[in-house]
Amino acid sequence: MTRSPRVLWLTVPSLVWFAVFSVGPLVAMFVIATLRWKGLLYEPTYIGLDNVTKVFADPTFHAAVRNSLIQVAVAIPVMIPLAFMLGYHLNTKPRAYRILSVLYFSPGLISISMTGMIFYGVLSPNGGVNGLLRGLGLDSLANAWLADPATALPSLIAIDLWRGIGWTAVLFAARLASVPGEVIEAAQIDGAGRFRTMWQVAFPMVKDYVRTLTMLQFLWTLFTSAALILLLTKGGPGTSSTTLSYLVYAKAFSMRDLGYSQVVGVVLLLFGIAGMALIRALLRGDTR
Amino acid sequence: MRKRPLATVLSWLYALILAAPLYYLAVSALKTNIEIFTRPFALPAAWLWENFHTAWETARLGQALLNSVLISLVAIVLTLALAVPAAYALARTDSRAARVITGAFSAGFLIPPFAALIPTVVLAINMGLFGTREFQMLFLPASALPLSVLLLTQFMRTVPAALVESAALDGAGHWRLLTRVFVPIARPGVVSVTILQLLTFWNEYLFALTITGTSPDVRTVQVALPTLISDATNLGVLAAGTVLTVLPVYVAYSLMNRRMQEALTAGAVKE
Repeated sequence: MTRSPRVLWLTVPSLVWFAVFSVGPLVAMFVIATLRWKGLLYEPTYIGLDNVTKVFADPTFHAAVRNSLIQVAVAIPVMIPLAFMLGYHLNTKPRAYRILSVLYFSPGLISISMTGMIFYGVLSPNGGVNGLLRGLGLDSLANAWLADPATALPSLIAIDLWRGIGWTAVLFAARLASVPGEVIEAAQIDGAGRFRTMWQVAFPMVKDYVRTLTMLQFLWTLFTSAALILLLTKGGPGTSSTTLSYLVYAKAFSMRDLGYSQVVGVVLLLFGIAGMALIRALLRGDTR
Repeated sequence: MRKRPLATVLSWLYALILAAPLYYLAVSALKTNIEIFTRPFALPAAWLWENFHTAWETARLGQALLNSVLISLVAIVLTLALAVPAAYALARTDSRAARVITGAFSAGFLIPPFAALIPTVVLAINMGLFGTREFQMLFLPASALPLSVLLLTQFMRTVPAALVESAALDGAGHWRLLTRVFVPIARPGVVSVTILQLLTFWNEYLFALTITGTSPDVRTVQVALPTLISDATNLGVLAAGTVLTVLPVYVAYSLMNRRMQEALTAGAVKE
């Protein structure tokens, strides 16, 4: 360690870069939220909190809040425990675990836009899912999954789970590999069942990591749903699959109301912070 | 080892659910629409290789791949040029200022770039770089900096103090210490960051769509491919294009399977 802090000057370029391209736009969001701005080619005017009033009175916004809440409230509590159990299983090195871990890992390599293209085919009325159902003689269950208000949002959540569970499981397995094997064995010699060993011995040892990953998956699900929705449902039918994240995008680029869009952006950010606080409280580390 | 039938069955069931869409994609890439509809999971009756050619031409994937490579490469060079010196400085100092800077990057790591999408578009317009590849080259490193700096700092902290002292006694300045001592020792970290961020840059979609745009000369593969969707989408061509776009990533993955898995887990294991 050097005593002279002069070497810290080397961090300045990266800090400037980060300030210009990341912090600046984040701050600008709060400013744009107070403007009347009809699309990027127009001149904005300051209207203060009028946008906030408008947004909070809009039924589309209410639908988006509801859909975002459903999305994270279903996706995260399903994804994290399943991923943990699969990760635990992977870590016991079952037969052909290499094949399993490569498969689990693979959605992590596929971009959101490619995922969209894959499921565009899979979920289309004549696509893979319906083909499978017809093959099983379950024709009556076949559906236009993305065009039916009852199944559009559940389909998107299912895609989140499809790509999220395996990827998170591989990460959990990597973390669990650093837990000393003797601890697990000792518990099993004491007669603890597999399920109990997993949740009462292994889980507390990696709880901090579970919390970190839960937060990351939560933020990911909450913020990045816009891309998949844009590719697959455009928020519809009606507002049935409009999330907050998609509303930010749609209001700015298709409905040309940047002030509205950025009010929603601020709400989304507050949601993110509140959710992280909640996850932190629920998965509080053991005080050692 | 005791048998665990339930866990085994469930883990393979999920593997099957993961593999099914990928298999469906691969076989669809060689079929006509009619065959995709009537025999969704069967192997193609006649292997329709033209789909790949059609996808390549229609979405102008050649130019798009070139754009993606160009953007990713410039962005990764810039990321390393910014992050390596910063990590070196943070690894070598333990002052209040250093902790504040580390804290700033830790907070930045948590904020998804999407949060500031629209103001970033405004920034691109004001810089006169809207609709260009150059803005992505400049912007992507900024979004990659928090994680890159934090990871590299951790790796550089493993450099033994004795080594630094003896090098310093030999009169080595910061530049020589960095290039001769720190970077070689932190090489696994540099490799991890490079792989991780290249994948992120290659896969980036929304910023590429809204800022670089859909003009065929500048758009990336991620943006080019969805243009194959229309009112009468040829699903076979779309699947072929998807295979072509995903393939480079899988080839890279199969070539350096373990390195890549290490890199990607390192990205999230950071605590």
